[in-house]
Amino acid sequence: MQLGPIDVEFLLQILPLLLKGAILTVELTLLAIFFGTIIGLFVALAKISRFKVLAITGGIYTWMIRGIPLLVQLYILYFGLPQVGIELSAHTAAVAGLSICGGAYIAEIIRAGIQSIDKGQMEAALSLGMSYAQAFRRVILPQAYRRLLPPMGNEFITLMKDSSLVSIITMTELLRQGKLLSNSTFRSMEIFLTVAAIYLFLTTIFICLIGRLEKRLAISDGD
Amino acid sequence: MIQAHNINKWFGSLHVLKDVSLTVNPGEVVVIIGPSGSGKSTFLRCLNYLEPINDGYIVVDGRQVGKKKTAGGRLVDDSRKNIYRLRSTIGMVFQQFNLFPHQTALENVMEGPVTVCKTAVSEARKKAELMLEKVGLADKADAYPIQLSGGQKQRVAIARALAMQPKAMLFDEPTSALDPELVGGVLAVIKDLAREGMTMVVVSHEMGFAREVADRVIFMDNGSIVEESSPQQIFTSPQHPRTREFLSKILG
Repeated sequence: MQLGPIDVEFLLQILPLLLKGAILTVELTLLAIFFGTIIGLFVALAKISRFKVLAITGGIYTWMIRGIPLLVQLYILYFGLPQVGIELSAHTAAVAGLSICGGAYIAEIIRAGIQSIDKGQMEAALSLGMSYAQAFRRVILPQAYRRLLPPMGNEFITLMKDSSLVSIITMTELLRQGKLLSNSTFRSMEIFLTVAAIYLFLTTIFICLIGRLEKRLAISDGD
Repeated sequence: MIQAHNINKWFGSLHVLKDVSLTVNPGEVVVIIGPSGSGKSTFLRCLNYLEPINDGYIVVDGRQVGKKKTAGGRLVDDSRKNIYRLRSTIGMVFQQFNLFPHQTALENVMEGPVTVCKTAVSEARKKAELMLEKVGLADKADAYPIQLSGGQKQRVAIARALAMQPKAMLFDEPTSALDPELVGGVLAVIKDLAREGMTMVVVSHEMGFAREVADRVIFMDNGSIVEESSPQQIFTSPQHPRTREFLSKILG
């Protein structure tokens, strides 16, 4: 069956392979979100810390990571490090690269979120006798993270799309699966349109999930 | 209860507190008045170490704020833990209320006892309900700050500070952000506290309140205490020309 330039039977034939790639894409994205958020939280806290050394280290981290293309970072992790005796599997290098990169952007989002909370909140918490850590945990972060959700959602979607870059270090995720198929079948149009559709489908699911989370938090916010 | 000795503080090159000394006895209510920028709020914030001071010393309840003596008798910066403990014994109420917007009124009042004193939640809840009743807001326990009027917010903020069973209370212009018709309710709560013998330092522009409640009125201007006397004295026959000028402007 033919739909315009697209051969539907062929499409159904390659779909299972592409979906297999898509599963890896989702896996990489979720891992990157998880580790990236942890990295981001610590880097954000470092950047607003009273301790100069921490603040500067955090600043250097976000400056370098945001200033170097992710692709170059992946090359360094996967092709560069073996030269100094550190050999990462493609999977480890991919997760590390995406997490380190995502972490830098997430750190900026969290920092901005924390700093957007009125100064009086910290003062009120401190005046009750709370430590800085308690004030952060009980007062600042719960308010910050409601404000963080929209920009975090954007970052998660970006991470999902950026995960296509790890195809270059032999990770057979969605894009590389498509590339391999197109190399052997020369049916680039069908294949990459399908790949695009799957990415669109995945990012849409993400957007919906984050939208629902935002709504739930808005209700418990009492607005 | 509170002794401040020759406090000096600079913001950069700006000398905001100049040799400010003040003693507040247990059960006393001291009201600080003065034009904006006179340093009265800054002084109040120094008393619980929200602002560190550059020179002088403050003693609260027998302990020097922010400093401690070493075994050798030298003064060194106090541990954070002691500073946190000091703050937990002094309640503070802010001009902008600073209620925690993600918590209900009741949760706001429970926050200090639960997080700082590790009081059991059920017990803290009971105490918090009593505190809200005391400020006349028992029916607003489950309301979020956004659902409360300014006056109600400030009364919840007072209850939140009282829940820590403080030895003294600091009020930083507690009614300045309120609509005029809401001022009375907040002042009534503060007056009740005064009657119960709470030690209080109140920065305020409410002269009627100062006259009624204060044991002593302090007039600050330009970073110094200019005049200090009974409300009777300061409002009827102020001694210093600057006090006279300020009062004539404010009282019209």
